[in-house]
Amino acid sequence: MGENIRIQGLTKSFGAQKVLAGVDLEVPSGQITCVIGRSGTGKSVLLKILMGLLRPDGGSIVINGVDITKLGDRELLKVRNRFGMVFQNAALFDSMNVFENIAFPVREHERLKEADLKVRVDAALASVGLLEHGHKNPHELSGGMRKRAAVARALVRKPEFLLYDEPTTGLDPIMTAHVDELIRTTQDQTPGLTSLVISHDMHATMQIADKIAMLFEGRVIFEGTGEDVRTTPHPVVRQFVEGRLEGPITL
Amino acid sequence: MSAVKRWNPVEALGAWVLESVEDFGGYVRFTTAAVVGIVKPPYRLRLLFKQMEFVGNQSLSIVMITGAFTGMVFAVQSDFAFGKFGARGLIGSTVVLALCRELGPVLTSLMVNGRVGSAFAAELGTMRVTEQIDALESMAIDPIQYLAAPRIGAALLMMPILCAVFDLVGTVGVSYVATQVLGVNPGPFYNRMEWFVDPDDIWGGMLKSAFFGFVLASVGCYRGYNARGGAEGVGQATTRAVVASGVAILVVDYFITLILAPMSVNRV
Repeated sequence: MGENIRIQGLTKSFGAQKVLAGVDLEVPSGQITCVIGRSGTGKSVLLKILMGLLRPDGGSIVINGVDITKLGDRELLKVRNRFGMVFQNAALFDSMNVFENIAFPVREHERLKEADLKVRVDAALASVGLLEHGHKNPHELSGGMRKRAAVARALVRKPEFLLYDEPTTGLDPIMTAHVDELIRTTQDQTPGLTSLVISHDMHATMQIADKIAMLFEGRVIFEGTGEDVRTTPHPVVRQFVEGRLEGPITL
Repeated sequence: MSAVKRWNPVEALGAWVLESVEDFGGYVRFTTAAVVGIVKPPYRLRLLFKQMEFVGNQSLSIVMITGAFTGMVFAVQSDFAFGKFGARGLIGSTVVLALCRELGPVLTSLMVNGRVGSAFAAELGTMRVTEQIDALESMAIDPIQYLAAPRIGAALLMMPILCAVFDLVGTVGVSYVATQVLGVNPGPFYNRMEWFVDPDDIWGGMLKSAFFGFVLASVGCYRGYNARGGAEGVGQATTRAVVASGVAILVVDYFITLILAPMSVNRV
């Protein structure tokens, strides 16, 4: 079983703009946690801090009893190896074909024989249904296939934590359903995996989340299950879920 | 009190200076990281060779064409000048000296800058705006080392070779036009050339071109790496890279020439 991620009092400002104003959140292991919130509420900043790509101004992120915000660059690299990230637009390297894209993180970090590498990459490709498409270049894939390739690349080094940045933004409803199912099956087929999804797609979130947290004005203002979200009287959550113009959230 | 802020020239100048200093500081930090990346393992030789092929092999034709025609046109122009006082025998030595010491390194670099500097900026810029650089970082790979180090290393290694090719082709060009087209007597032509041109002239030019290669590759990579905001940002980064490197090459040229010049004063 993996470890919970415990985020406490996380703050981050860019110049005068306070993006995170003390985020408290527990990401339980072996589940899918979704962080929802309006665009520009610091969701992506939260992901980048978790990956160690950005340093927070204050607060802590504790994994396995270690506060990763206090680590030096070298230890941070080791922590980063325990994470996989699926980028919004897949971010596949267009100088390589799909197979090489997925082989890339393995080649960089592990000494494997070419045959063993092929077994490993083919398994990752097969788990997302792309076994036949390894020789193609990223631009030859459809949007959904690219996203699947990105999931395979994030999973190939067997991370404990899988982060998704806006996985369904800009996709049509059918593709959205497809990606939702991809996230769900990936979670169910990978023992010990902890997923964190950043999204503003309420419908998709309800489909896949074991736990939902809402980010508003730099803080987590609500945590609960999908059922809790449906029934809560919390005015901010209600307005967001129902997509109304009137309410505490102003443009 | 007026709400509209009046344009203040001092403030604008100050903002420009601050921005430039910050930008230059960013460049120095980026380049330092790239140079450390060249020296420090892991060594990605495959990437280095790929870039050497791109910078070197693929620039060969434009460098040869530029070199040949530069030598040829300088033969014609110096024939016009030297003909005025009957010193046509000096055409070869003068043009070849100019080629090796100045025209070779500078023109090669400016041509390669247009091809390679712009390509580096556009490639890294596209990788930046499509999150491929973030993806590298998320895989615990140092993107500056992975992307900039092989490109800068390749330019450092290949530029002197391209410069030497330029010198050679230019020399053939000037010799052909002078002796075959303009009818200069080959005897004194080659004799003076051998007399006046030293290996140091060639080495000096090649050394200069290595500096220029470093400048154009590092500026191209830096601009691309820091591109922002979609296709427009990539376009801007590319333009700024080519312009900045072009100017920087000419400025750096003057200062390196000042430093190299005393070393060749004592000879002959």
